[in-house]
Amino acid sequence: MTFPQALFMGLLQGATELFPVSSLGHSVIIPSLLHWRFKQSDPTFVPFLVLLHLGTAGALLVLYRKQWIAIIRGFFTAAVRGRITTEPERLAMLLLTGTIPAGILGVFLENRIKSLFASPYVAAGFLVINGFLLLGFELLRRRAERHASLDSKSRAEQEESFATAERISFRAAAVIGACQALAFLPGISRSGVTIGGGLLAGLRHQEAARFSFLLATPVILAAGLVEVPQLLATGVPLGEYVVAALLSGLAAYASARFLLRYFRSGRLDPYGWYCVPAGAVSLVLLTLRV
Amino acid sequence: MRGRLAFGLVILAVAFVVIAGLYYEGVLQIAVSDPHAAHHTTHAILFAVLAVASLIAANFAREKTV
Repeated sequence: MTFPQALFMGLLQGATELFPVSSLGHSVIIPSLLHWRFKQSDPTFVPFLVLLHLGTAGALLVLYRKQWIAIIRGFFTAAVRGRITTEPERLAMLLLTGTIPAGILGVFLENRIKSLFASPYVAAGFLVINGFLLLGFELLRRRAERHASLDSKSRAEQEESFATAERISFRAAAVIGACQALAFLPGISRSGVTIGGGLLAGLRHQEAARFSFLLATPVILAAGLVEVPQLLATGVPLGEYVVAALLSGLAAYASARFLLRYFRSGRLDPYGWYCVPAGAVSLVLLTLRV
Repeated sequence: MRGRLAFGLVILAVAFVVIAGLYYEGVLQIAVSDPHAAHHTTHAILFAVLAVASLIAANFAREKTV
């Protein structure tokens, strides 16, 4: 991988990790469309991915630094006391509940699923499915809004009728966490399924995005930190990869800020309408070997 | 009833600690990607986290005096 390619991949990973359009899918499909041949068996490839993920997790930690301090403090207070009394304490326990199924499924299934489906054709197919999933989540949300007689109200009023992240049930948090396993399929977006799960659990769009980003941070960070020793292997162009990771972090930070603002009144549909044709066109281009 | 649940969760935590140790020492090879690795650190960390989560759940489940 050349330095410009590494920078491009860093930018792509950071920008698509938090948008509900599948970073893994894009990082499989786009290099194939550009006829870039990365050897995933190359000993420097895993350290590269590790650094990109650490960049993304770092961006999320910076973005939510005050919340994370409150969550960590709340976690220890509630864990020792054995009782939840404040919202940060509840959020901390909800995140723990959501992280456990994600961690179990990640450790036992991630590598197997990724190695089974790591083909650009499969990724393009799943990108189409991801688009339909996003559209389906919004369809169900609109139905919930109609049931609550919210269709005549403004978007801001509609959103205010739904809950904040701290108010969802522990069962819903566990289900949203488990949904993250779907993202091991290249083309299915982690943030897409968790935001969608949050919407089904009755969260506001912005709160579903916040819960999704908070839930992703420990998993991405832990997965990256476990692989850190690989960075010290010989032949790893650490300086170049660090620059790519910084770019990935910057892109992730900017996209998170954008999405949190967008989801004040925005919906998942535009991303669904992007994924369906993007996946279909990629599938055609890959098949025709253009 | 709550006391019994809390006790069960403590037992579960102990079981998770043992499993974490066995994975770390490479004794357990269930569902690992590289059976020849000396340590299965990721699996060990997962079960250590599960042990901590079980202890927290036990603390929530125990009968409170206040």
